[in-house]
Parts: sequence; structure tokens; C-alpha cells
Amino acid sequence: MVPLFGNFALWLSLFFAISQFFISKNNNLKLIKVSVNGLLISSLISFFLLMYSHVISDFSLLNVFQNSHTTKPMLYKISGMWGNHEGSMLLWILVLTIFNYFIFKFYNKSNYKFVSKILETQAFITIGFVLFTIITSNPFEKIIPTPENGLGFNPILQDPALAIHPPLLYIGYVGLSAAFSTGVAALKLSDNEKIPWHSYMKPFVITAWTFLTMGIALGSIWAYYELGWGGWWFWDPVENASFMPWLLATALLHSLIIVERKKSLQTWALLLSILAFLLSVIGTFLVRSGILTSVHTFALDPSRGIYILLFTAVLGIYALMLFWKKSQKYSDNNYFAFFSKEGSILVNNVLMVVVCATVFLGTIYPLLIEALTANKISVGEPFYNSTVIPMMMPAILVMGIGPLLSWTKEDKLKIFKKIFPSILLTGIMTVLIFLFYQSYSAIGIMGIILAFWIISNNLLMIFKKNRNYSAGMIVSHLGVGLLILGITGSSVWQTEKIIRMKIEDQTKIEKYTIVFEKIDEIKGANYLALQGNFLVYDEEKNIITKLKPQNRFYPITNNFTTEASIHTNLLRDLYVVFGEGNLKDGWIVKFYYNPLVIWIWIGALIIFFGGIISIKINLNKLRILN
Amino acid sequence: MKKQILIVPFIFFALILLVFFYLLIIERNPAELPSNLLNKNVPKFETNSLIKKEKFISSKEFGNEIVLVNFFATWCKPCLEEHDYIKRFSNEKKIRIIGINYKDNKKTVINWLNKLGNPYSNVPIDKDGKIAIDWGVYGIPETFVINSKGIIKYKHIGPITEKTYKKINLLIKKIE
Repeated sequence: MVPLFGNFALWLSLFFAISQFFISKNNNLKLIKVSVNGLLISSLISFFLLMYSHVISDFSLLNVFQNSHTTKPMLYKISGMWGNHEGSMLLWILVLTIFNYFIFKFYNKSNYKFVSKILETQAFITIGFVLFTIITSNPFEKIIPTPENGLGFNPILQDPALAIHPPLLYIGYVGLSAAFSTGVAALKLSDNEKIPWHSYMKPFVITAWTFLTMGIALGSIWAYYELGWGGWWFWDPVENASFMPWLLATALLHSLIIVERKKSLQTWALLLSILAFLLSVIGTFLVRSGILTSVHTFALDPSRGIYILLFTAVLGIYALMLFWKKSQKYSDNNYFAFFSKEGSILVNNVLMVVVCATVFLGTIYPLLIEALTANKISVGEPFYNSTVIPMMMPAILVMGIGPLLSWTKEDKLKIFKKIFPSILLTGIMTVLIFLFYQSYSAIGIMGIILAFWIISNNLLMIFKKNRNYSAGMIVSHLGVGLLILGITGSSVWQTEKIIRMKIEDQTKIEKYTIVFEKIDEIKGANYLALQGNFLVYDEEKNIITKLKPQNRFYPITNNFTTEASIHTNLLRDLYVVFGEGNLKDGWIVKFYYNPLVIWIWIGALIIFFGGIISIKINLNKLRILN
Repeated sequence: MKKQILIVPFIFFALILLVFFYLLIIERNPAELPSNLLNKNVPKFETNSLIKKEKFISSKEFGNEIVLVNFFATWCKPCLEEHDYIKRFSNEKKIRIIGINYKDNKKTVINWLNKLGNPYSNVPIDKDGKIAIDWGVYGIPETFVINSKGIIKYKHIGPITEKTYKKINLLIKKIE
């Protein structure tokens, strides 16, 4: 029954998307309403039908059979639904239709022409993805005869952070589709229609950006805890695929502030809104076409690649042609003073776009080389460290000062007066932290100074008297400062030690003495584990913690995973990975001492809250406008 | 702003699209990784055999005729998929195949081979995966073609399909 209803709901979604596409041209409110609601309901049905099948382990569905197992904990049965290609498409469609619903909420008598144009493009995008799902990736395919149990699902993906990582990420990607549709709609307006399109676009961009930030952060947390490599970012092509739209969304978000205030830079913002979503779809293409190999790649199927690429081509060619033909009506000849708020935002915009282009180049360069010369090369950390970091540093410097500057023009002496307190505060905090860490390196000092620069500027902004700064901005920027603190600390001062240890051996890392106490055998819900017990002592021989890294074996899929054990405090993480070994020769054990890592996650969370505050503020603005 | 500039994003986009289409269309297999072992002697190893009493000694097994080496395990699904092709190499083409059994359970393998048929002339056991490391195996299944002088001529990563089956047969004819 489920396959029948599921397929029916999918086709129904297609039907409503097509009807929305045609009806939105006629501005018939009732029919539009039917389509929008129908689309939402039908995609909810298909989504929850598949989820239900995963929950009850209905192995007559190929998708459930391939990705689930009766012994899997309930949380991962649910998240397993979107942990695979076909199921994740249903999530993607659901998020699309939810955004579609919110776009429709803005519909009223004064703006109906504009909003219906947004709905038209949004419907087109939805048609594309629903068709893609039906043709190449139908999650409701049956398997005959019904197998007794499923093939499980990759144990490395059974992690709470990863369970909610895709939904957040998709809200980000798909939110950018709403910005794209708004941009296209703005371009399609005739010359005499004046609509503040940026006010409609901004809530979507901020929503997308906020959730994308959190989604990426959760992916990092997962990589940090689960992969056991001691790091949290690896410049993997798939990480890049999420980072690139994020960079453009960041640029777009800030350029919209100028558009809102000065009515300048409209062409630029429109272009960014188009490119940001195109990059999201290209990211999807890279991940799901099998064109790249990476830890994230979904099941490979060339026909999917061709479909997504064709769809990207249609979207991109249409939008960029429209941009070429129609964007001139938004262009202006305003020049910005370098020392002004808009000047600083522009500098940041340019840097974000250049960083994005660099990451893009780094991601596809190996493919190009392979196509042209048949050599395999890989572009990794050294490339990104030597390109992205030097560009990010000036961007961060400007980010600290930008919000303090006035619009239009600012006197240089005045600027100095404004930033003098924060320079002082930055200096004090930097000296303090180096008194504590006593490890100096050029990049470390710069990173710490920049982090405190952002933190102190924003802290001081909170205490300014006549403040007209956005609360969301201050909170988010504060989060970025903390994030940089964590990034610098963990990448500059990380120490690692890999040794072979027998029971009762001891070793030292930084100021901690670690004793290998014993080995336990543990039986988990769907795995068996060998657990090492390590006692950690500080300099005064006080016991600080017990670390219990595991080596897990999942019999269903015959997989081995390592579970790192981490002791966290505000200053550092102690990170232990238990490797291969036996009683006689001992085990290989990896220790990492990662300073300040926790501030990355705290920073990301604070950015997220700042984003949520901004979403609220901007939605209110739009409500007043409507 | 001059109107001509506004076409630049379009041009860039079109170029990138062309590159991606080109990459999709050309015969390109991201799983095909270059091996440092190509045109080198097979790595030496000694281990127990699953189906014979005497030890498997690599120096005795290679260097007389063309041999296929296939890394496999019963828990590996793609290995099951390619098993028919491995059998065809053995039955139709009469090629000697050595199946290195990777991180597996002895009893399960014997059952597996009894059930599906055993195309392997010998099955050395790689209990802890050390032999696979010496061979530079990325992930099983992997198949190597070794010529009559004991030199590795070709490596395929992933299950053998109709296409790779033909390709390997052509290659074998060539080096014969």
C-alpha cells in the first residue's frame, strides 16, 4: 500500500507544482491557494509515508531495505530516511514546498504581481526536483520478495549531530532557492513597477544563511567526533559544496543591507542571489553525480548527474540571460567612499566572492587536470590554507570596524576615536592569552588578535549609548569572533601523539599524564565494542577524567568504526582514538591536545541565535511593509 | 554600468557547464586510481590457504602464466555481484584466479564458495588486511592482472561489470 500512496503523493506534488506554475500567471488567488496548499500537503504525505516505512522497518520498500535494519535505534531509523539519496530528495522537496508556502503568505493586493512571479519560479524549481525524484530516484520502489531484514545503514552515520545535519543544511540550500526566485521575479518586473524586492529577499537569505551555518557546523562536529582524525574541517569536496553557497549567501546578506539603505548595488545583489542558489544545485550535482569521489558521495548513477546538470543549465541560462537583458534598470553609478559603512561591506563582499571562486577552483581543478591530462592530482589543505586564510584575514579586520562606520563618509580621525577602546581591549586580551599559552607563531598571533578584535568591538557596541546597531548582527558577529578564536587555537596549537600502548603503560601529552588502565568488552544496541580505559592525571597527580575510546564492530554490515573519547573544557579538548592492536603487542593509541575547540561550536551556536534574531526583525519589517 | 558587462556571469556559467558536461560524457571512472605497483613485481607474501593444506607462498604461485588476483570477502556486497564474472574468467577463459580473502570468517567463506561455486584455484587468507595494504588495495573488491613474468599489468577497483570483463579479456589477449 505504501508504495502506491507514496507514488500517488509524489505525482500529486508534480501536478500541484505544474498547476502553480501556470496559475500564478493569472493571479487567481483561490486557485493559487489550492496549488500551494496542495503542494505542501502532498509533499508532507510522501515525506511522512517514507518516514513511517522506515520507522516500522517495512522492508518491502527497496529504500528501507537498503538503508535500515530492525536493530537500529529509533532516532537513526528516522534519520536514516534522509541519510540516503532517494529519501533525502523527499526532504528537499518538503523544504521547498514549505518555503513556497511562506512566500505565498506574503501575497496581498498591493504586491500580488510580484509575489506571483516568485511563486512561478519557485514552482518551476519544484517541478524540476519532483521530476528528478520520480524519474531517477524514486524512494517508493518495491522489492520482491520482501527480505527479512535490511542491510543496515552505515554505522559511521549513526550520530545525533549527523541526524539533524541534513535538514538544517537543506533549509539553507533551499532557502537560497527562495532568494533566487525573488531575484528572478525582481528582474521580470516591468520598468514602472517599483517593489522593494530586497525586503522580500532578506528574510529568506538570512534564514538560509543561519541554517546553513548551523548545518555546516553540525557536519564539522560530526567529523570531529566520529572520524577520529582529530580535526573538524578537511576541505573535502562536499564540505566545499556547502561552504561555497555559504560564502555567497554571506556576501548577499550584507549587500542587501546596502540595497535597503542606499538603493545602490541592486544589480550586484541580484546576481549574488542567482549565483548562490546555482552553486547549491551545482553542489548537489557534484555530490550525487559520482563525478567526484569523497567520503560523502551518495550512490553513484550517471543518469542522475546528467539530469541535475541539465536542470542547472536550464535554471542558470534562464536566470543569467534575464540578468543580462533586464538588470540594467537596477544599475546605478553611485561611488562609495572607502571609509564608510557601505565601503566596508563592499570590501567584504568582494573578498567573500573571491574566496568562493578560489574554493570553486580548488574543488574542480583536479577534475579539469584529469580530463585534460589523465593525471590524478588532489588539491588539499596547503592550497586552501595559503589562499583562503590570507583573504579571510583582511575580511575579518574590516568586519570588526565596518558596523561602527557611518553611512556615506566618515572622517578618519573620528574612526580612530571610535575604535581606540576596542584596540585597547584587543591588546589586553591578546597579551593575557599569550601569557597563558606562551606559544608564539605569526599566524597564531594574528588569528588571536583578529578574534579579540571582533569580540571587543561587538562587546563595546552593546554598551554604546545611542546604539542603532541590529541586535542580530552584534550577536552573530560576536559568534564569529569566538569561532575564529576556536579555529586559531585548535589549528595553531594542536599537538598530537601516536604511540603503541600496552595495559598499564603511561604516556604524557602537554601537562597530562595518561595511564592505560584496562580493556573492556561492551555490547551495544547493534554493535560490539572493545573499549580502552585511560586515566588522565594533571601535574599534581590529581585524576581529571577517565577517557573511554572505543573500537566498534557492527556485525550487520561488518563495519569497524572508532569512537573517539573526548574530555572538553573551555580551554582545550583531550581527544583519544583507540586503534588496532592486541593484548600481546599493545594497541595503537592516538592522542590529540586541541586547544579552544569548544569555542568553534559555541561560536557557531551564537551565530545561529544571532541569525534567528535577525530573521524575526526582518520578518517584522516586511509585515509592516505589507 | 555598461550593458556588455552584464553578460559576463552568463559566459562564465556557460563555460563551467561545458566543463561539467564534458566530464560527464568522457569515459571517466573516478574509481580508477593509478597504482604505484603497475609494471612492478607482485608483492611477496606467505599465508595460510583456505582450501589447501600447504601454505600459500607467493613466489611459487606467480610467474608461470597469466593470473588474476581478486580481493574479496563474503560480507562485501559488490563481491557477490561480480562473482559471476569471476566464474566466467575461470570457466570460459580458463584463466587461473587467486582469490585473496580479506578480513573474513573461515567457515562463512567455505559456505559461501560452496553455495556460489568456487572459481579460485587458491584462496590465501588475509585475516588482518596486511596483504591488502602491501598490494595498495583501496577497498574491496579489487582485481589485478598479472602477466607470466609475475608483473602487475592492470588494476581494477570495484566490482567487475560486463564492460570491465571485456576490457580485461582484451588486455589478457594483448599480453599473451
